[in-house]
Amino acid sequence: MSGASVGIGALTPPGGLAWGRTFVMCPPQHFGVLYEINPWMHREVQVDPDVAYEQWETLVTTLRSAGAEVLIMDPHPEVPDLVFTANAGVVNGGQFVPSHFRHPERQGETEIDAAWFADRGWKVDRLPVALDHEGAGDALPFTPEGGRTVLLSGYSFRSDAPAATALSTLLGCPVRPIQLVDPRLYHLDITFCPLDGRRAIIAPLGWDAYGRRVVEALVPEPLVLTDEETLSFCANSVVVGRTVVMPTVPPRVGRQLEAWGFTVAQSRVDEFLKAGGGCRCMTLAIDTVLAPSAPPTPTDAPATG
Amino acid sequence: MATETIEVAGHIVDSLLLAKILDTILDAGCDYEITDFSIGKTSLDPSRARIDVSGDDEVLSPLLDDLQVHGANRSEQREATLEAAEVDGVLPAGFYSTTNLATDVRVGGRWLPVTNPEMDCALVLTADGEAHTAPMHRVRAGDRVVVGSDGVRVHVPQAAPGTQVFEFMASEVSSEKPKALLVSRVAERLRAARERGAKVLVVAGPAVVHTGGAPDLARLVEAGYVQVLFAGNGFATHDIESNVLGTSLGVSIAEGVPTEGGHSNHIRVINEVRRRGSIAAAVEDGLIPGGVMAACVRAGVPFVLAGSIRDDGPLPDVLTDVVVAADTLRSYLPGVGVALMLASTLHAIATGNCLPAGVETFCVDINQAVVTKLADRGSHQALGIVTDVGPFVRQLADELLSER
Repeated sequence: MSGASVGIGALTPPGGLAWGRTFVMCPPQHFGVLYEINPWMHREVQVDPDVAYEQWETLVTTLRSAGAEVLIMDPHPEVPDLVFTANAGVVNGGQFVPSHFRHPERQGETEIDAAWFADRGWKVDRLPVALDHEGAGDALPFTPEGGRTVLLSGYSFRSDAPAATALSTLLGCPVRPIQLVDPRLYHLDITFCPLDGRRAIIAPLGWDAYGRRVVEALVPEPLVLTDEETLSFCANSVVVGRTVVMPTVPPRVGRQLEAWGFTVAQSRVDEFLKAGGGCRCMTLAIDTVLAPSAPPTPTDAPATG
Repeated sequence: MATETIEVAGHIVDSLLLAKILDTILDAGCDYEITDFSIGKTSLDPSRARIDVSGDDEVLSPLLDDLQVHGANRSEQREATLEAAEVDGVLPAGFYSTTNLATDVRVGGRWLPVTNPEMDCALVLTADGEAHTAPMHRVRAGDRVVVGSDGVRVHVPQAAPGTQVFEFMASEVSSEKPKALLVSRVAERLRAARERGAKVLVVAGPAVVHTGGAPDLARLVEAGYVQVLFAGNGFATHDIESNVLGTSLGVSIAEGVPTEGGHSNHIRVINEVRRRGSIAAAVEDGLIPGGVMAACVRAGVPFVLAGSIRDDGPLPDVLTDVVVAADTLRSYLPGVGVALMLASTLHAIATGNCLPAGVETFCVDINQAVVTKLADRGSHQALGIVTDVGPFVRQLADELLSER
């Protein structure tokens, strides 16, 4: 990036994301690498529960300092990965579509998530039983300036391509399936992080050639990660207004984000990276509105925890 | 070679999913045809595509598994219903009556191509999993016959490259067409057939001999442009008569005048051939010095002579059982790419009934009604030419052989 464009970008930052002010998270009481369902997970690697808890709390604090509201979901001993709330489902205003997990180890999470949202006033709509889809972990919206929100949906490792069509019907928004091709980058949210109406952090390493073209056509100013940057999980970040909360900050990426007028906050989650999850995986934005037809977001969602 | 139908729906255009699926099919060495496509009117509406994928069995199955990953699923297809014939020569009630179009039958979750499309037949599935057409009389008790139309699909022929001659002739049959141009286009198709190794079937009526076209047809046989000849007792008799006695039905071919006692010439010729046992023996014996039949014998071109109730003699080679004659003709049809019907009404129509729609068929007759009747038999590639057959065959032979 040239100095001139940095200056202009910093002076006139485009409007940030319309979502990402309210999140739900689940504390890691029961978290551990108890099984192996992605290339990062190794049961012989032990998670330090105290460090994990501390890192999780730091993430909560960091998000709150950035201006986000964080709701807390109760943990459950039988499903340690409940801590990765991004995979709970897809939120569209007052509508919630719970995930259908591919691996039996996580399938117990679906009803816990569905109940949490139903109890707080969300309308729960279900995907067809035969289709797998792992929620916001595999589906992130991008709203081009002055354009319509498009949901990008990753498929192959955890989600089925036809789930995109089913989601589109349920949500009333265009859903474009992107094929994920690198098993290390098994969810879309490790390869894509929308920043605002023009920009997103993107990791082409994770996509096939068609997926790359689709994202290139959608995002006018992508921050294209190198393979090394990608594998640091830096795309698995949470954007709160103009603040980007990142598990790792490769220097070039941090500089570019700051040049664009973002504040970069690192929140170390190394214990969770042992399970293949970063900051984004541990949060689910519950204020996303994907279509004009979405029911209103419930206002009586009390913070618990 | 097998074909499967897949369906895919969703935002398959914006997401390049359709492009990816089609590229994947081609990359696997298979081919596709989009048989149905509806595009979403807005960015929200889903698009839908139904795609026929064809390729070798061993490639197709793993390819379809791959495509499933991208959301393209095999369409739900009904299986063909099979019923055993109870009696020899009698089909189960409700049997599927065939067209002459390329046809597939769905059995065991796969589309099987029918090996020999023919109209007005039944579809029979053999024990080794082959689907073929069978005329009613050939069906045996126990044969598994397709009933109803579930699990049967037909393909409307696509214009193959280089078949513009048929587009040119798509208009009504007429005597007003420029003949020279037609002759050269027919010649072009015969050359093309020879190049791709397709057989040429000639169906000839007696008028070919009466109008002086037999020597030219013989030239075509000698030059290898004819692989099967189908005719009746009349054509063969007059061809032989003209070569043995110089007359056709007693009329001098050279001078065009009736010869004395000529009315019995053909009977006497038939008698001499019968004395020798076969046309081939009569050619070998030197009785028949030339002509179309002799050319066939010498060139080893098979001929099928089908008899009728008004035949004199008949010649010893004539098959007098019409069912046997039709079955014999059928046995020569595989591999036929072009059929040339020359001034024959009944034999030409009999042949038209047996030919798959994909065979390029030219029907030449002075009588427009005959040409129209043949061209209208549902053959999608039939071209009628209303003209005097003798000069037509001469021009055709000149056109084809002048370059040699």
